[in-house]
Amino acid sequence: MADIKDTKSARAKVNKALTYAVMFFFTFMAIYPLFWLLMNSFKTTTEFQLNKLGFPQHWTLINYKDAWVRGKFPHLILNSMVYTGVTTVVTLGLSFMAGFGFAKIPHKATKILHGSFIIGLLLTLQSIMVPLFLLINWTGLYNTRLGVLIPYIGIAMPMGIYLGTDYIKSIPNALIESARLDGATYFRIFRSIIVPMALPVGVTLAILTVTGTWNEFMLINILTSSDALKSLPVGVQKFAGALSSDFGKQFAALVIGLIPMLAFYLGFRKEITKGVAAGAVKG
Amino acid sequence: MSKVLSGKDALSSARKEQKRSYWMLVLPAVVIYLSVMAFPTVFSIVLSMTSYNGGKIFGGRIPVEFVGFKWYKRLFVDEYFYLALKNNMWIVLVSVLGQIPLGFFLAYVLYRGLVKLTDFFQTMIYLPCVISTVVIGILWKSFFSPHGAFPEIVRLFKPSYEYGVSNHPILPVLFVILWMYTGTYLIIFMANLQKIDSAVIEAARIDGASEGQSLRYIILPALSGVIVTSCILAISGSLKSFDLIYVMTGGGPANQTSVLSVYMFDKAFKGAPNYPLANAISTVMVTISFILIGLTKWAESKFGGRE
Repeated sequence: MADIKDTKSARAKVNKALTYAVMFFFTFMAIYPLFWLLMNSFKTTTEFQLNKLGFPQHWTLINYKDAWVRGKFPHLILNSMVYTGVTTVVTLGLSFMAGFGFAKIPHKATKILHGSFIIGLLLTLQSIMVPLFLLINWTGLYNTRLGVLIPYIGIAMPMGIYLGTDYIKSIPNALIESARLDGATYFRIFRSIIVPMALPVGVTLAILTVTGTWNEFMLINILTSSDALKSLPVGVQKFAGALSSDFGKQFAALVIGLIPMLAFYLGFRKEITKGVAAGAVKG
Repeated sequence: MSKVLSGKDALSSARKEQKRSYWMLVLPAVVIYLSVMAFPTVFSIVLSMTSYNGGKIFGGRIPVEFVGFKWYKRLFVDEYFYLALKNNMWIVLVSVLGQIPLGFFLAYVLYRGLVKLTDFFQTMIYLPCVISTVVIGILWKSFFSPHGAFPEIVRLFKPSYEYGVSNHPILPVLFVILWMYTGTYLIIFMANLQKIDSAVIEAARIDGASEGQSLRYIILPALSGVIVTSCILAISGSLKSFDLIYVMTGGGPANQTSVLSVYMFDKAFKGAPNYPLANAISTVMVTISFILIGLTKWAESKFGGRE
């Protein structure tokens, strides 16, 4: 009897150890390339060529100094913050407004308008890339900040409308009706009831918009040409992508490029994972 | 409609205010969405059937003509198109049969409490997803380059290894795609597993159901909807993949790792532009994605639905 119990618990222990081993293996796989990158960003390129896998023998910050200045990173980061900030704020505002209209003001246009946003969830950036490029050119918005921001906002709209309308629907009608009876206009209701109550979904939407906009690369790459308007991903690609032999500087540039999102992720871990799960509604 | 009672007057002015408010609230979003997404989508299909190649659409030097399905016909005899399509299908396969099962497995281990440090594992495995694809792409390009870490690591296990041109240059790309996005499915499955009432599973366990049985008869049926959603995400995501490949290989060597979106980009923005052909490619991409999504939904209605 005791024997069986012993083998059983021994087997459970082995299983447990195996499960841990598997989980640590996948975690190691996920982290190692980034760790490798970080290690090598502290080596000079000459040292890297002799020592590709180990720790640096002589830690140096020279790569960072060089990359920071020559890659014009302060400027790129500022640009990215402007694009991301404006896009997120405007998307949130417009989504709440339209979401309120769709969810709480009866109108016969709602069905077709709201429906067209939902189809937008399935559209891909590729299917609008060339026409958008032509339109931006014709309207004279090529190589302007506005010519980047308008498409960014439009692309973020379907998700915003989807999440916003859905959430605002759950706000009790009685609240709005009694405010109406007290003579409040819809704008007042929007300001003093809808916006405060929809804040939780606002956080989710903001997370999705921030990550999407910050990392966006393809559109801004074709819609702008001057250095002054580039965002961080484009700048990193132009600077680090061209340094195919100067690995030290390239690695430092990549680390600088990934730090903002990494900090954002570690700071808002819970909200981000919630947002990803909420955003996985396509289809 | 006629003004019989003053009460009706007040009512109709309230109606008017309601209508006006509706449009003022909805219109900004609608206008920006129509001009940035809806119109360009339609415009793209129209363009793909013309001879437009830059300049003014009306009254240009060379008049724009309607050419029907000319570019589509050209596409279907283009070997590079099939090469790109094949690579896209590989990515779809890796996503649906690699990322989703792996993501589910990891989420399941964490959800059932088979290991501690749940938060740590989840945070670390999802981490690659939040980093900009451009950074990821250049990082892996250097990692796999002849002067990078990959040949060194292989030599640790097989000292005689010599770096040579790979016969399957798409393999590193597929690996990186698996590496990068598995965490997304971990998060999605984790969130939905947590919605299952754990009392049901405990009850089944007390009644003698094994881990495998409770997985088979309780958890998987409860997740069938999420699995379908994940497949749709994976399919549309795979057809869209652009950034990573553009940065990592640029489609090279010799278009061996090209995908439809990179091929389209090359046609529209590299060398002499061929906008109609590029739009034909994107229309085909969207069509394929809708067909695959339709198939997934059909499969769900046929074989799934035990929720």
